[in-house]
Amino acid sequence: MTFYTKTNTSTLPPMNQILIFVALTLICVIGLAFGLHTMLVGHHHTLATTREVPWGLLITPYVFFACLSTGLCMISSLGQVFGIDTFKPLVTRTVFLSLISMAAGLMCIALEIETPWRVGFYALFSPQPFSNIWWKATIYSLFTVATICNFLLLMIGRHKSARAFATIAIVLVTIGNLNMNSDMELLGARGFWSEGYMPLYFLSLSALIGCAAILLFNWMSSRFNNQILQSQEDMALQATGRLFLVILLGIFYFTVVKIMGGFIPKFTNNPEAMALLVQGGFAHNFWIGEVGLAVLLPLALIAFTKGKKVIVLALAGISCLTGVFILFYDLVIVGQLIPHFQHYNVVDLPQYYSYSPSLHEIMISVGVTFFFLAAFIFGEMLFKKIYVYGQ
Amino acid sequence: MKGIKLDKLKNEGVETLISKERRQFLRFGLIVTGVFLGGSILSLTSAPKAQGAFRSGKVVPSVGQFPYKPHYTMVIRQGNCIDCELCLEACRSTNSVPAYGYRTIILERRIANAEGEQERAFMPILCNQCNQPSCVRVCPTGATYKDTTNGIVRMNPNKCIGCKTCMAACPYNARYYKEEDRAIDKCNFCIDTKLKESGGKTTACCAVCPAGVRIFGDLTDPETAAYKLIHTPGNVFWVLRPEKDTLPNIFYMDA
Repeated sequence: MTFYTKTNTSTLPPMNQILIFVALTLICVIGLAFGLHTMLVGHHHTLATTREVPWGLLITPYVFFACLSTGLCMISSLGQVFGIDTFKPLVTRTVFLSLISMAAGLMCIALEIETPWRVGFYALFSPQPFSNIWWKATIYSLFTVATICNFLLLMIGRHKSARAFATIAIVLVTIGNLNMNSDMELLGARGFWSEGYMPLYFLSLSALIGCAAILLFNWMSSRFNNQILQSQEDMALQATGRLFLVILLGIFYFTVVKIMGGFIPKFTNNPEAMALLVQGGFAHNFWIGEVGLAVLLPLALIAFTKGKKVIVLALAGISCLTGVFILFYDLVIVGQLIPHFQHYNVVDLPQYYSYSPSLHEIMISVGVTFFFLAAFIFGEMLFKKIYVYGQ
Repeated sequence: MKGIKLDKLKNEGVETLISKERRQFLRFGLIVTGVFLGGSILSLTSAPKAQGAFRSGKVVPSVGQFPYKPHYTMVIRQGNCIDCELCLEACRSTNSVPAYGYRTIILERRIANAEGEQERAFMPILCNQCNQPSCVRVCPTGATYKDTTNGIVRMNPNKCIGCKTCMAACPYNARYYKEEDRAIDKCNFCIDTKLKESGGKTTACCAVCPAGVRIFGDLTDPETAAYKLIHTPGNVFWVLRPEKDTLPNIFYMDA
C-alpha cells in the first residue's frame, strides 16, 4: 500500500467514503443475489448457456480477474521479488489488488459451475492430474494463500518473509496462467484457442491489464483520499506507464496477427472462427473493443502526453481494461459458435450457433466486478487507518 | 541531421558497471527465465495422452491390438437409416433421458451423388466412446472416465461439479447437463440398463432398430456381427471428425 503524507488525525474514514463503499457493496450484493438464485433454481432456468455453447458470459470475468491477478502479481514482483527500487512504492497496494482480483475471479467461477460444493472434496480426494482445470484450481488456491500471507507480512513490516511468499506466488500464478490457456487450448472440439501464440499472448495480456489496473487504481486512490501523489509514487506510475506502453506494442503485434487470420485463412488454424471475429457478427466487438479500446486509444493517449500525466495514464488504463474484458468475452464465446458438424452438410444446421447473455449472467458479472471495486475501497479505508494508527 | 558515429565512440566496457548492478541484472534475468520455463514445464504436466489411449494409425485397429476386453463398439450402417426415431425413444425410456436432453440423435444430411445430385442421408450420432477421449482428459475430478475393462466412457454423477468443460471438449456434441442428477449425462452403451440385462449383447437403440442400422458388438469377439462387418474385406468405414484424433469406437458405413 502506498504511504501518503498524513493530512488529518481522524481514525474514521469520512462519511462520503463510507457512502461510496456502501453503494458499491449494495450493487455487489444485488449481483450476487442473482448468483444465489441461479444456484438454487439451476442454471437451466436462469443462464443462456446451451448444450452447444456451454460456456457463457460468466467465464469472461473469471478469466479477466484471474489474468488481472496474474498481471498485478507480476508487476508487484518487480519491486518485491526482483528488487527494482522504482516499483517498490507500488508493492503493497498491488499485492492487495492482486488478492482481491483472484478472490473476484474465484467467486465468479464458483457461481458459474453448477455444483461448486463438490469441488473442494473431489478435487482433494479424486484428483485428475491430466486435467488443466484441476491444476488451475489447485494452483490458484495455493496462490491465494501465498498472497494472503505476503500481504499480512507486508502489513506488519516483515518484508523478508513477505518476499519469500511473493516468490512462491509469482511462480504459482505464472503456472496457473499457462494452465488457463492450456485448459482452453486442449478442448478437442474447439480449435479456436489452439493458435501457437496463445501462451505468450495470455501472459502478455495479463501483464498489460496488470499495468492498466495499477495506473487506474493508484490514481483513483489519490482522488478518493483527496491527496497529491508523492514524487516516488509518481515516478513509479510513470515507470509502469512506460512498461504499459511496451506491452501495448506487443499486444498490437498479436492483434495484427489476429486481423491477418481473420482475412487470410492460411494465417490461422481456425479460419471460420477468426472470420466471425474480424468480419462477422463479432466485428464490432473486435474493432471497437479489442483494437480501439484495448490498444489504439491507450497508445494514442500515452503518445500525446508522453506518459507524463497520471490522469491520462489512468484514462488509458480504464480504456485498456474495458477493451481486454471484451477481448476475453470474444475469446470465450466465438470459438464455441462454430457448429460441431459444419462440414457434414447437415440440414437446418445454422452457420453459427448463437449466444446472448441472460439477465442473471449480466448481473452476476456486475456483482463480481463491484465486489472487486468495493474491496478496493474497503482496502483504502482500512489500511490508511492502520497507517494513521501506526504513526 | 547528424547521426551518431558508433565506431568513433569509446568502448565503455563492462568493467565500468558496478558489480552489484550486474549481479542484480543477471539475477533478474535468471529469475524471469526460471519463472517462465518453470511455468511452461509444470503446465505441461497434464499434456500426456489420456491413459488407455490406443494408437494404430488406422481407423479400425488390427486384430489383437484392442486395448480392452470386451472392447465394445458400434457399427452404423448409415444407408439403411429411415429416421423412424425408434432408437431415440428406446434410449429415452430405458435410460430416463429427460425431454430437454438426448443421448443420441439423428441428423439429416444432403450428400452429392456421382451424378452431382443431392441425396438425403440420415446420420445417427451418439457418444463415440473414444479411445482418446477429450472429455475424460479435461475433467478435473474424474467424474467422467474411461472404463478400464470395456473402454466405455462413463459418468460418476456424484463427482460431477458441473463445470461443463467436457461438453465444450466433446467434438460430437454428445453430452448434456441433466438437471435431475445435477451432473452431465451421456450415452454409456446402456451399461447399467439394457446391456446389463442382455448379458453384454445389445443396447436399447440397437435392440429396437427395424432396419439393422445400429450394430453393437465386441471387437475382440469374432462371433459378433460388428466384428464380422468390420473385418470383412471390401467394406469401407469412416469415423466422425477424424481430425480431432480422438480414436472413436463408432464406425460408419454406407449399408
